[in-house]
Amino acid sequence: MGAHSLLPFTQDRDTAGFFEAAAEGRLVFKACLDCGHALHPPTDHCPRCGGWNTAWKDAKGTGRLHTWTTVMHQIHPDFPAPYTLVVVELDETPEVRLMGRLQGEPELREGMPMEVWFEPLGEGGPVLPQWKPVEA
Amino acid sequence: MTATVIDDELAFAGRDKAAVVGIGQTAFSRDSGRSVLSLATEASLKAIADAGLTVDDIDGIVRCEQDNVRPYSLAAAIGAKNLHYWADTGPGGVAPCMMMGLAMGAVMTGQAKAVLAFRSLNGRSEMRLGGTGRHDAIEVVGGFGSYDEFYLPYGLQSAGQTFALMARRHMLEYGTTAEQLGAVAMACREHANQTPHAQMNGRPMSMDDYLASRMISTPLRMFDFCLESDGACAVVITSAERAKDLAKPPVLIRAVAGGAPQDHRPGMMFPVVSREDMTELGGRQAGAELWRRAGVGPEEMDLAQIYDCFTISVILQLEAYGFCGKGEGGPFAASGALRKGGQLPINTGGGHMSEGYVHGMNHIVQAVRQLRGEADMQIPDAELCMCTGGPLPIGSSVVFRKAA
Ligand SMILES: [Zn+2]
Repeated sequence: MGAHSLLPFTQDRDTAGFFEAAAEGRLVFKACLDCGHALHPPTDHCPRCGGWNTAWKDAKGTGRLHTWTTVMHQIHPDFPAPYTLVVVELDETPEVRLMGRLQGEPELREGMPMEVWFEPLGEGGPVLPQWKPVEA
Repeated sequence: MTATVIDDELAFAGRDKAAVVGIGQTAFSRDSGRSVLSLATEASLKAIADAGLTVDDIDGIVRCEQDNVRPYSLAAAIGAKNLHYWADTGPGGVAPCMMMGLAMGAVMTGQAKAVLAFRSLNGRSEMRLGGTGRHDAIEVVGGFGSYDEFYLPYGLQSAGQTFALMARRHMLEYGTTAEQLGAVAMACREHANQTPHAQMNGRPMSMDDYLASRMISTPLRMFDFCLESDGACAVVITSAERAKDLAKPPVLIRAVAGGAPQDHRPGMMFPVVSREDMTELGGRQAGAELWRRAGVGPEEMDLAQIYDCFTISVILQLEAYGFCGKGEGGPFAASGALRKGGQLPINTGGGHMSEGYVHGMNHIVQAVRQLRGEADMQIPDAELCMCTGGPLPIGSSVVFRKAA
Protein backbone atom coordinates (compact mmCIF):
# COMPACT_ATOMS: atom_id res chain seq x y z
CA MET A 1 0.00 0.00 0.00
CA GLY A 2 2.75 2.42 -0.85
CA ALA A 3 5.28 4.07 1.36
CA HIS A 4 4.79 4.05 5.09
CA SER A 5 5.93 7.31 6.46
CA LEU A 6 3.31 7.65 9.20
CA LEU A 7 4.31 5.21 11.93
CA PRO A 8 2.45 4.55 15.18
CA PHE A 9 4.28 5.37 18.40
CA THR A 10 4.59 1.92 19.95
CA GLN A 11 6.18 2.74 23.33
CA ASP A 12 3.20 4.36 25.03
CA ARG A 13 2.62 2.94 28.50
CA ASP A 14 -1.09 2.40 27.89
CA THR A 15 -1.01 1.19 24.29
CA ALA A 16 2.34 -0.55 23.66
CA GLY A 17 0.85 -4.01 24.33
CA PHE A 18 -1.41 -3.68 21.28
CA PHE A 19 1.55 -3.15 18.96
CA GLU A 20 3.77 -5.75 20.68
CA ALA A 21 1.06 -8.35 20.04
CA ALA A 22 0.55 -7.16 16.45
CA ALA A 23 4.30 -7.63 15.84
CA GLU A 24 3.74 -11.29 16.81
CA GLY A 25 0.70 -11.61 14.55
CA ARG A 26 -1.83 -11.46 17.39
CA LEU A 27 -4.79 -9.12 17.83
CA VAL A 28 -5.43 -8.09 21.44
CA PHE A 29 -7.66 -5.69 23.30
CA LYS A 30 -7.54 -4.34 26.84
CA ALA A 31 -10.19 -5.57 29.24
CA CYS A 32 -11.08 -5.52 32.93
CA LEU A 33 -10.51 -8.92 34.51
CA ASP A 34 -12.97 -8.17 37.32
CA CYS A 35 -16.08 -7.10 35.41
CA GLY A 36 -15.23 -8.00 31.81
CA HIS A 37 -15.60 -4.44 30.48
CA ALA A 38 -13.48 -3.90 27.37
CA LEU A 39 -11.37 -0.74 27.31
CA HIS A 40 -10.66 0.97 24.02
CA PRO A 41 -8.73 3.18 23.63
CA PRO A 42 -6.93 1.24 26.36
CA THR A 43 -6.59 2.47 29.92
CA ASP A 44 -5.33 0.58 32.96
CA HIS A 45 -8.24 1.60 35.18
CA CYS A 46 -11.76 0.31 34.63
CA PRO A 47 -14.33 3.13 34.84
CA ARG A 48 -17.21 0.63 35.09
CA CYS A 49 -16.20 -1.21 38.29
CA GLY A 50 -13.41 1.04 39.52
CA GLY A 51 -10.83 -1.73 39.44
CA TRP A 52 -7.20 -1.67 38.34
CA ASN A 53 -7.12 -5.36 37.37
CA THR A 54 -6.89 -4.96 33.60
CA ALA A 55 -4.99 -6.98 31.00
CA TRP A 56 -4.60 -7.61 27.27
CA LYS A 57 -6.87 -10.35 25.96
CA ASP A 58 -6.55 -12.25 22.68
CA ALA A 59 -9.21 -11.53 20.09
CA LYS A 60 -10.33 -14.03 17.47
CA GLY A 61 -9.55 -11.56 14.73
CA THR A 62 -13.05 -11.44 13.30
CA GLY A 63 -15.59 -8.68 13.36
CA ARG A 64 -18.39 -6.82 11.59
CA LEU A 65 -18.25 -3.67 9.50
CA HIS A 66 -19.81 -0.82 11.51
CA THR A 67 -19.19 2.19 9.26
CA TRP A 68 -16.84 3.35 6.52
CA THR A 69 -15.82 6.32 4.39
CA THR A 70 -14.07 6.49 1.05
CA VAL A 71 -11.51 9.27 1.16
CA MET A 72 -11.60 11.07 -2.21
CA HIS A 73 -9.63 14.16 -1.18
CA GLN A 74 -6.06 13.25 -0.37
CA ILE A 75 -4.48 14.81 2.71
CA HIS A 76 -1.19 12.98 3.23
CA PRO A 77 1.22 12.47 0.33
CA ASP A 78 1.73 8.80 1.18
CA PHE A 79 -1.98 7.98 1.39
CA PRO A 80 -3.13 8.28 -2.23
CA ALA A 81 -6.88 8.72 -2.69
CA PRO A 82 -9.18 7.01 -3.14
CA TYR A 83 -8.90 4.69 -0.17
CA THR A 84 -11.56 3.44 2.19
CA LEU A 85 -11.43 3.63 5.97
CA VAL A 86 -13.37 0.91 7.77
CA VAL A 87 -14.49 0.73 11.40
CA VAL A 88 -14.77 -2.88 12.54
CA GLU A 89 -16.56 -4.04 15.68
CA LEU A 90 -14.92 -7.09 17.28
CA ASP A 91 -17.06 -10.23 17.43
CA GLU A 92 -16.07 -10.76 21.09
CA THR A 93 -17.22 -7.36 22.28
CA PRO A 94 -19.10 -4.47 20.72
CA GLU A 95 -17.12 -2.20 23.06
CA VAL A 96 -14.04 -2.34 20.85
CA ARG A 97 -14.01 -0.92 17.34
CA LEU A 98 -10.81 -0.78 15.34
CA MET A 99 -9.71 0.99 12.18
CA GLY A 100 -8.66 -0.56 8.91
CA ARG A 101 -7.88 0.66 5.41
CA LEU A 102 -8.91 -0.84 2.07
CA GLN A 103 -7.62 0.23 -1.31
CA GLY A 104 -9.90 2.10 -3.68
CA GLU A 105 -13.68 2.15 -3.42
CA PRO A 106 -14.77 -1.41 -2.59
CA GLU A 107 -18.42 -2.46 -2.47
CA LEU A 108 -19.29 -2.65 1.25
CA ARG A 109 -22.38 -3.22 3.37
CA GLU A 110 -23.19 -2.68 7.03
CA GLY A 111 -22.52 -5.69 9.23
CA MET A 112 -20.47 -7.61 6.67
CA PRO A 113 -18.02 -10.08 8.23
CA MET A 114 -14.43 -8.87 8.36
CA GLU A 115 -11.17 -10.58 9.26
CA VAL A 116 -7.87 -9.24 10.50
CA TRP A 117 -4.50 -9.35 8.69
CA PHE A 118 -1.21 -7.87 9.73
CA GLU A 119 0.56 -5.16 7.76
CA PRO A 120 4.25 -4.60 8.50
CA LEU A 121 5.17 -0.97 7.98
CA GLY A 122 8.50 -1.48 6.27
CA GLU A 123 11.47 -3.67 7.20
CA GLY A 124 11.67 -4.05 10.99
CA GLY A 125 8.98 -1.39 11.44
CA PRO A 126 5.82 -1.57 13.52
CA VAL A 127 2.93 -3.80 12.46
CA LEU A 128 -0.67 -2.64 12.02
CA PRO A 129 -3.62 -4.97 12.40
CA GLN A 130 -5.68 -4.36 9.24
CA TRP A 131 -9.10 -5.63 8.13
CA LYS A 132 -10.58 -7.08 4.96
CA PRO A 133 -13.95 -8.55 4.04
CA VAL A 134 -14.15 -12.30 4.65
CA GLU A 135 -13.96 -14.10 1.29
CA ALA A 136 -17.38 -15.47 0.40
CA MET B 1 -29.82 15.46 50.49
CA THR B 2 -28.73 18.83 51.80
CA ALA B 3 -25.59 18.88 49.67
CA THR B 4 -27.65 18.62 46.49
CA VAL B 5 -29.70 21.65 47.42
CA ILE B 6 -26.57 23.73 47.99
CA ASP B 7 -25.10 22.59 44.66
CA ASP B 8 -28.25 23.56 42.84
CA GLU B 9 -28.32 27.00 44.41
CA LEU B 10 -24.82 27.54 43.06
CA ALA B 11 -25.79 26.18 39.63
CA PHE B 12 -28.49 28.81 39.35
CA ALA B 13 -26.56 31.61 41.07
CA GLY B 14 -24.95 32.68 37.81
CA ARG B 15 -28.21 33.12 35.95
CA ASP B 16 -28.28 36.55 34.26
CA LYS B 17 -25.49 37.83 36.53
CA ALA B 18 -22.91 38.49 33.79
CA ALA B 19 -23.33 40.10 30.40
CA VAL B 20 -21.57 40.44 27.08
CA VAL B 21 -21.14 44.17 26.62
CA GLY B 22 -18.75 44.48 23.68
CA ILE B 23 -18.10 42.62 20.44
CA GLY B 24 -15.40 42.98 17.82
CA GLN B 25 -14.12 41.17 14.77
CA THR B 26 -11.68 41.52 11.93
CA ALA B 27 -12.47 40.85 8.30
CA PHE B 28 -12.68 37.13 7.49
CA SER B 29 -10.47 36.13 4.57
CA ARG B 30 -8.40 33.40 2.96
CA ASP B 31 -5.17 35.22 3.74
CA SER B 32 -5.05 38.02 6.28
CA GLY B 33 -1.38 38.73 5.55
CA ARG B 34 -1.01 39.55 9.27
CA SER B 35 -0.03 37.72 12.44
CA VAL B 36 -2.66 36.17 14.67
CA LEU B 37 -1.58 38.60 17.41
CA SER B 38 -2.32 41.51 15.09
CA LEU B 39 -5.77 40.06 14.32
CA ALA B 40 -6.51 39.44 18.01
CA THR B 41 -5.43 42.98 18.85
CA GLU B 42 -7.77 44.51 16.27
CA ALA B 43 -10.77 42.41 17.34
CA SER B 44 -10.09 43.07 21.03
CA LEU B 45 -9.72 46.85 20.67
CA LYS B 46 -12.96 46.95 18.67
CA ALA B 47 -14.78 44.92 21.36
CA ILE B 48 -13.50 47.19 24.14
CA ALA B 49 -14.50 50.33 22.23
CA ASP B 50 -17.89 48.82 21.37
CA ALA B 51 -18.52 48.35 25.10
CA GLY B 52 -17.61 51.96 25.84
CA LEU B 53 -14.67 50.78 27.96
CA THR B 54 -10.93 51.42 27.73
CA VAL B 55 -8.02 48.96 27.82
CA ASP B 56 -7.43 49.99 31.43
CA ASP B 57 -10.80 48.44 32.30
CA ILE B 58 -9.77 45.00 31.04
CA ASP B 59 -8.39 42.93 33.93
CA GLY B 60 -9.12 39.42 32.66
CA ILE B 61 -8.44 37.50 29.44
CA VAL B 62 -9.68 34.01 28.53
CA ARG B 63 -8.80 32.08 25.39
CA CYS B 64 -8.89 28.80 23.51
CA GLU B 65 -5.97 26.53 24.39
CA GLN B 66 -5.23 26.08 20.66
CA ASP B 67 -4.82 29.80 20.08
CA ASN B 68 -1.29 30.85 19.18
CA VAL B 69 -1.93 34.17 20.92
CA ARG B 70 -1.11 34.01 24.64
CA PRO B 71 -3.29 36.02 27.03
CA TYR B 72 -0.30 37.94 28.38
CA SER B 73 0.92 38.74 24.86
CA LEU B 74 -2.49 40.10 23.96
CA ALA B 75 -2.53 42.18 27.16
CA ALA B 76 0.85 43.60 26.19
CA ALA B 77 -0.21 44.26 22.60
CA ILE B 78 -3.40 46.12 23.50
CA GLY B 79 -1.73 47.91 26.39
CA ALA B 80 -3.84 46.42 29.20
CA LYS B 81 -1.82 47.15 32.32
CA ASN B 82 -4.30 45.83 34.87
CA LEU B 83 -4.32 42.12 34.02
CA HIS B 84 -5.23 40.08 37.12
CA TYR B 85 -6.96 36.99 35.69
CA TRP B 86 -6.39 34.66 32.74
CA ALA B 87 -7.45 31.16 31.78
CA ASP B 88 -7.39 28.70 28.88
CA THR B 89 -10.15 26.33 27.93
CA GLY B 90 -10.92 23.90 25.15
CA PRO B 91 -10.53 21.62 23.47
CA GLY B 92 -10.56 23.48 20.15
CA GLY B 93 -14.00 24.59 19.05
CA VAL B 94 -15.49 23.53 22.38
CA ALA B 95 -13.78 26.58 23.91
CA PRO B 96 -15.98 29.63 23.16
CA CYS B 97 -19.02 28.57 25.21
CA MET B 98 -16.75 27.47 28.05
CA MET B 99 -15.01 30.87 27.85
CA MET B 100 -18.38 32.44 28.70
CA GLY B 101 -18.46 30.24 31.81
CA LEU B 102 -14.90 31.15 32.80
CA ALA B 103 -15.62 34.85 32.36
CA MET B 104 -18.90 34.64 34.28
CA GLY B 105 -17.16 32.81 37.13
CA ALA B 106 -14.29 35.31 37.23
CA VAL B 107 -16.67 38.28 37.33
CA MET B 108 -18.91 36.73 39.99
CA THR B 109 -16.04 35.76 42.27
CA GLY B 110 -14.25 39.07 42.06
CA GLN B 111 -11.26 37.68 40.15
CA ALA B 112 -11.89 40.12 37.32
CA LYS B 113 -14.19 43.05 36.61
CA ALA B 114 -14.10 42.96 32.81
CA VAL B 115 -12.96 39.90 30.88
CA LEU B 116 -11.89 39.78 27.26
CA ALA B 117 -12.60 36.47 25.47
CA PHE B 118 -11.09 35.96 22.02
CA ARG B 119 -10.16 33.56 19.23
CA SER B 120 -7.69 34.43 16.52
CA LEU B 121 -6.44 32.20 13.76
CA ASN B 122 -4.97 32.17 10.30
CA GLY B 123 -6.97 29.00 9.69
CA ARG B 124 -6.49 29.14 5.95
CA SER B 125 -3.12 30.77 5.31
CA GLU B 126 -1.04 29.34 8.17
CA MET B 127 -2.50 26.65 10.44
CA ARG B 128 -5.06 24.64 8.47
CA LEU B 129 -7.07 22.50 10.89
CA GLY B 130 -8.05 19.84 8.34
CA GLY B 131 -4.75 18.02 8.64
CA THR B 132 -3.34 19.57 5.49
CA GLY B 133 -0.09 20.97 6.84
CA ARG B 134 3.38 19.99 5.66
CA HIS B 135 4.66 16.48 6.22
CA ASP B 136 8.18 15.31 6.88
CA ALA B 137 9.67 12.12 5.41
CA ILE B 138 8.93 9.84 8.35
CA GLU B 139 6.75 10.78 11.25
CA VAL B 140 6.02 8.82 14.42
CA VAL B 141 2.52 9.70 15.56
CA GLY B 142 0.44 9.24 18.68
CA GLY B 143 1.21 8.21 22.22
CA PHE B 144 1.17 10.16 25.48
CA GLY B 145 -2.58 10.02 25.83
CA SER B 146 -3.40 11.21 22.31
CA TYR B 147 -4.30 7.68 21.11
CA ASP B 148 -3.57 8.92 17.59
CA GLU B 149 -1.48 5.77 17.03
CA PHE B 150 -4.77 3.86 16.56
CA TYR B 151 -6.01 6.18 13.82
CA LEU B 152 -3.49 8.36 11.93
CA PRO B 153 -1.34 5.47 10.57
CA TYR B 154 -4.49 3.97 9.01
CA GLY B 155 -5.23 7.16 7.10
CA LEU B 156 -7.90 8.58 9.41
CA GLN B 157 -6.36 12.01 9.44
CA SER B 158 -9.01 14.71 9.67
CA ALA B 159 -12.17 15.86 11.37
CA GLY B 160 -13.96 15.63 8.03
CA GLN B 161 -13.17 11.93 7.69
CA THR B 162 -14.28 11.33 11.29
CA PHE B 163 -17.60 13.09 10.77
CA ALA B 164 -18.00 11.21 7.49
CA LEU B 165 -17.88 7.93 9.46
CA MET B 166 -20.54 9.36 11.82
CA ALA B 167 -22.67 10.60 8.93
CA ARG B 168 -22.61 7.13 7.33
CA ARG B 169 -23.86 5.65 10.63
CA HIS B 170 -26.65 8.21 10.83
CA MET B 171 -27.66 7.40 7.27
CA LEU B 172 -27.62 3.65 7.97
CA GLU B 173 -29.66 3.94 11.16
CA TYR B 174 -32.11 6.73 10.34
CA GLY B 175 -32.17 7.01 6.57
CA THR B 176 -30.68 10.50 6.61
CA THR B 177 -30.10 11.77 3.07
CA ALA B 178 -27.68 14.01 1.22
CA GLU B 179 -30.53 16.45 0.54
CA GLN B 180 -31.19 16.72 4.29
CA LEU B 181 -27.52 17.54 4.91
CA GLY B 182 -27.77 19.99 2.03
CA ALA B 183 -30.65 21.79 3.77
CA VAL B 184 -28.23 22.73 6.56
CA ALA B 185 -25.63 24.07 4.13
CA MET B 186 -28.26 25.99 2.17
CA ALA B 187 -29.75 27.65 5.28
CA CYS B 188 -26.29 28.89 6.28
CA ARG B 189 -25.60 30.10 2.73
CA GLU B 190 -28.90 31.97 2.55
CA HIS B 191 -28.08 33.74 5.79
CA ALA B 192 -24.59 34.61 4.55
CA ASN B 193 -26.16 36.17 1.49
CA GLN B 194 -27.91 38.65 3.80
CA THR B 195 -24.69 39.34 5.72
CA PRO B 196 -22.28 41.62 3.82
CA HIS B 197 -19.12 40.62 5.70
CA ALA B 198 -19.73 36.86 5.25
CA GLN B 199 -17.11 35.13 3.11
CA MET B 200 -19.81 33.53 0.94
CA ASN B 201 -21.88 36.70 0.59
CA GLY B 202 -22.94 37.19 -3.01
CA ARG B 203 -22.59 33.48 -3.80
CA PRO B 204 -26.04 31.88 -3.68
CA MET B 205 -26.18 28.08 -3.64
CA SER B 206 -28.96 25.81 -4.94
CA MET B 207 -29.54 22.18 -3.95
CA ASP B 208 -28.14 21.23 -7.35
CA ASP B 209 -24.99 23.24 -6.60
CA TYR B 210 -24.69 21.46 -3.26
CA LEU B 211 -25.18 17.99 -4.75
CA ALA B 212 -22.73 18.76 -7.57
CA SER B 213 -19.91 19.69 -5.20
CA ARG B 214 -17.13 17.11 -5.20
CA MET B 215 -16.97 14.25 -2.72
CA ILE B 216 -14.29 14.79 -0.08
CA SER B 217 -14.87 11.77 2.14
CA THR B 218 -18.06 9.81 1.39
CA PRO B 219 -20.83 10.57 2.16
CA LEU B 220 -19.63 14.17 2.77
CA ARG B 221 -19.13 16.64 -0.07
CA MET B 222 -17.20 19.89 -0.20
CA PHE B 223 -20.28 21.91 0.79
CA ASP B 224 -20.79 19.71 3.85
CA PHE B 225 -17.55 21.25 5.12
CA CYS B 226 -17.07 24.59 6.82
CA LEU B 227 -14.82 27.28 5.41
CA GLU B 228 -11.20 27.68 6.37
CA SER B 229 -10.68 31.29 7.39
CA ASP B 230 -8.21 33.85 8.66
CA GLY B 231 -9.78 36.14 11.23
CA ALA B 232 -10.39 36.99 14.86
CA CYS B 233 -13.36 37.66 17.11
CA ALA B 234 -13.44 39.06 20.63
CA VAL B 235 -16.08 39.88 23.23
CA VAL B 236 -16.04 41.65 26.60
CA ILE B 237 -17.90 40.26 29.62
CA THR B 238 -18.68 42.13 32.82
CA SER B 239 -21.31 42.01 35.56
CA ALA B 240 -24.94 42.54 34.59
CA GLU B 241 -25.07 45.40 37.07
CA ARG B 242 -22.17 47.29 35.52
CA ALA B 243 -23.46 46.46 32.03
CA LYS B 244 -26.47 48.73 32.56
CA ASP B 245 -24.24 51.81 32.39
CA LEU B 246 -22.27 50.85 29.27
CA ALA B 247 -22.60 51.82 25.63
CA LYS B 248 -24.67 48.99 24.16
CA PRO B 249 -27.76 47.04 25.26
CA PRO B 250 -26.40 44.25 27.48
CA VAL B 251 -26.80 40.63 26.48
CA LEU B 252 -27.04 38.46 29.57
CA ILE B 253 -25.36 35.09 29.98
CA ARG B 254 -28.36 33.08 31.11
CA ALA B 255 -26.57 29.75 31.61
CA VAL B 256 -23.50 27.80 30.51
CA ALA B 257 -22.94 24.04 30.58
CA GLY B 258 -20.58 21.51 29.09
CA GLY B 259 -21.16 17.79 28.91
CA ALA B 260 -19.46 14.44 28.26
CA PRO B 261 -21.25 11.69 26.33
CA GLN B 262 -22.71 8.67 28.09
CA ASP B 263 -20.18 6.31 26.49
CA HIS B 264 -17.15 8.52 26.96
CA ARG B 265 -13.73 7.40 25.70
CA PRO B 266 -10.32 8.93 26.32
CA GLY B 267 -8.56 10.90 23.57
CA MET B 268 -9.63 13.66 21.19
CA MET B 269 -12.10 13.17 18.34
CA PHE B 270 -11.09 9.89 16.66
CA PRO B 271 -12.16 7.56 19.54
CA VAL B 272 -15.79 8.55 18.83
CA VAL B 273 -15.79 5.55 16.48
CA SER B 274 -15.78 3.26 19.53
CA ARG B 275 -18.80 4.84 21.23
CA GLU B 276 -21.66 2.36 21.54
CA ASP B 277 -23.74 4.89 19.59
CA MET B 278 -21.35 6.98 17.54
CA THR B 279 -24.07 9.45 16.60
CA GLU B 280 -24.48 10.44 20.27
CA LEU B 281 -22.76 13.59 21.50
CA GLY B 282 -21.84 15.06 24.86
CA GLY B 283 -24.21 17.80 23.74
CA ARG B 284 -27.05 15.68 25.12
CA GLN B 285 -25.55 15.86 28.62
CA ALA B 286 -24.52 19.49 28.15
CA GLY B 287 -28.02 20.37 26.96
CA ALA B 288 -29.83 18.66 29.84
CA GLU B 289 -27.78 20.68 32.31
CA LEU B 290 -27.94 23.87 30.23
CA TRP B 291 -31.75 23.90 30.07
CA ARG B 292 -31.99 23.06 33.77
CA ARG B 293 -29.68 25.91 34.71
CA ALA B 294 -31.34 28.32 32.26
CA GLY B 295 -34.89 27.50 33.36
CA VAL B 296 -35.95 27.59 29.71
CA GLY B 297 -36.00 24.86 27.09
CA PRO B 298 -35.10 24.42 23.43
CA GLU B 299 -38.67 25.25 22.38
CA GLU B 300 -38.22 28.75 23.81
CA MET B 301 -35.19 29.67 21.71
CA ASP B 302 -35.90 32.33 19.10
CA LEU B 303 -32.80 31.28 17.19
CA ALA B 304 -29.56 29.35 17.68
CA GLN B 305 -25.94 29.36 16.59
CA ILE B 306 -25.10 25.68 16.12
CA TYR B 307 -21.43 24.76 15.70
CA ASP B 308 -21.23 23.83 12.03
CA CYS B 309 -17.85 22.31 11.31
CA PHE B 310 -19.86 19.99 9.03
CA THR B 311 -23.52 19.71 8.07
CA ILE B 312 -23.84 16.41 9.93
CA SER B 313 -22.52 18.12 13.09
CA VAL B 314 -25.57 20.39 13.05
CA ILE B 315 -28.00 17.50 12.60
CA LEU B 316 -26.44 15.54 15.46
CA GLN B 317 -26.54 18.58 17.75
CA LEU B 318 -30.16 19.44 16.93
CA GLU B 319 -30.97 15.97 18.24
CA ALA B 320 -28.60 16.09 21.21
CA TYR B 321 -29.82 19.46 22.50
CA GLY B 322 -33.46 18.43 22.16
CA PHE B 323 -34.61 20.57 19.22
CA CYS B 324 -35.90 17.34 17.65
CA GLY B 325 -35.96 13.64 18.46
CA LYS B 326 -33.15 11.16 17.93
CA GLY B 327 -32.79 10.40 14.24
CA GLU B 328 -35.13 13.26 13.26
CA GLY B 329 -32.43 15.85 12.57
CA GLY B 330 -32.49 15.27 8.81
CA PRO B 331 -36.25 15.76 8.31
CA PHE B 332 -36.14 18.71 10.78
CA ALA B 333 -33.49 20.44 8.64
CA ALA B 334 -35.31 19.60 5.40
CA SER B 335 -38.56 21.10 6.76
CA GLY B 336 -37.07 24.58 6.46
CA ALA B 337 -36.89 24.98 10.24
CA LEU B 338 -33.33 26.30 10.13
CA ARG B 339 -34.01 29.17 7.70
CA LYS B 340 -35.08 32.69 8.55
CA GLY B 341 -38.79 32.51 9.32
CA GLY B 342 -38.48 28.83 10.28
CA GLN B 343 -38.99 27.22 13.67
CA LEU B 344 -35.32 27.63 14.65
CA PRO B 345 -33.24 29.91 12.43
CA ILE B 346 -29.60 28.92 12.89
CA ASN B 347 -26.27 30.50 12.08
CA THR B 348 -27.92 33.76 11.19
CA GLY B 349 -24.71 35.35 9.86
CA GLY B 350 -23.87 32.30 7.73
CA GLY B 351 -22.01 30.34 10.41
CA HIS B 352 -18.82 28.40 9.85
CA MET B 353 -20.28 27.10 6.61
CA SER B 354 -20.62 30.49 4.95
CA GLU B 355 -19.69 33.43 7.21
CA GLY B 356 -16.22 32.36 8.32
CA TYR B 357 -14.55 29.81 10.56
CA VAL B 358 -13.38 31.43 13.76
CA HIS B 359 -13.63 28.22 15.74
CA GLY B 360 -16.98 28.98 17.38
CA MET B 361 -16.23 32.57 18.37
CA ASN B 362 -18.10 34.18 15.45
CA HIS B 363 -21.20 32.33 16.69
CA ILE B 364 -20.93 34.16 20.03
CA VAL B 365 -20.56 37.53 18.27
CA GLN B 366 -23.54 36.76 16.03
CA ALA B 367 -25.72 35.78 19.01
CA VAL B 368 -24.94 39.10 20.68
CA ARG B 369 -25.73 41.08 17.52
CA GLN B 370 -29.10 39.36 17.22
CA LEU B 371 -30.10 40.01 20.84
CA ARG B 372 -29.07 43.67 20.51
CA GLY B 373 -31.17 43.92 17.37
CA GLU B 374 -28.21 44.98 15.24
CA ALA B 375 -27.67 41.93 13.01
CA ASP B 376 -27.54 42.27 9.24
CA MET B 377 -30.21 39.56 8.91
CA GLN B 378 -32.12 40.41 12.07
CA ILE B 379 -34.53 37.84 13.53
CA PRO B 380 -37.49 39.98 14.71
CA ASP B 381 -38.04 40.22 18.48
CA ALA B 382 -35.16 37.86 19.30
CA GLU B 383 -34.87 37.48 23.08
CA LEU B 384 -33.28 34.06 23.64
CA CYS B 385 -30.44 32.54 21.62
CA MET B 386 -28.40 29.44 22.36
CA CYS B 387 -24.90 28.75 21.08
CA THR B 388 -23.06 25.48 20.92
CA GLY B 389 -19.37 24.68 20.79
CA GLY B 390 -17.56 21.98 18.85
CA PRO B 391 -19.34 18.61 19.21
CA LEU B 392 -16.28 16.37 19.83
CA PRO B 393 -15.01 14.97 22.10
CA ILE B 394 -17.26 16.73 24.62
CA GLY B 395 -19.97 19.34 24.21
CA SER B 396 -20.43 22.93 25.35
CA SER B 397 -23.32 25.35 25.23
CA VAL B 398 -24.59 28.70 26.39
CA VAL B 399 -27.93 30.50 26.48
CA PHE B 400 -27.90 34.27 25.96
CA ARG B 401 -30.82 36.49 26.87
CA LYS B 402 -31.68 40.03 25.90
CA ALA B 403 -31.71 42.19 29.04
CA ALA B 404 -35.21 43.27 30.06
ZN1 LIG C 1 -14.21 -3.45 35.56
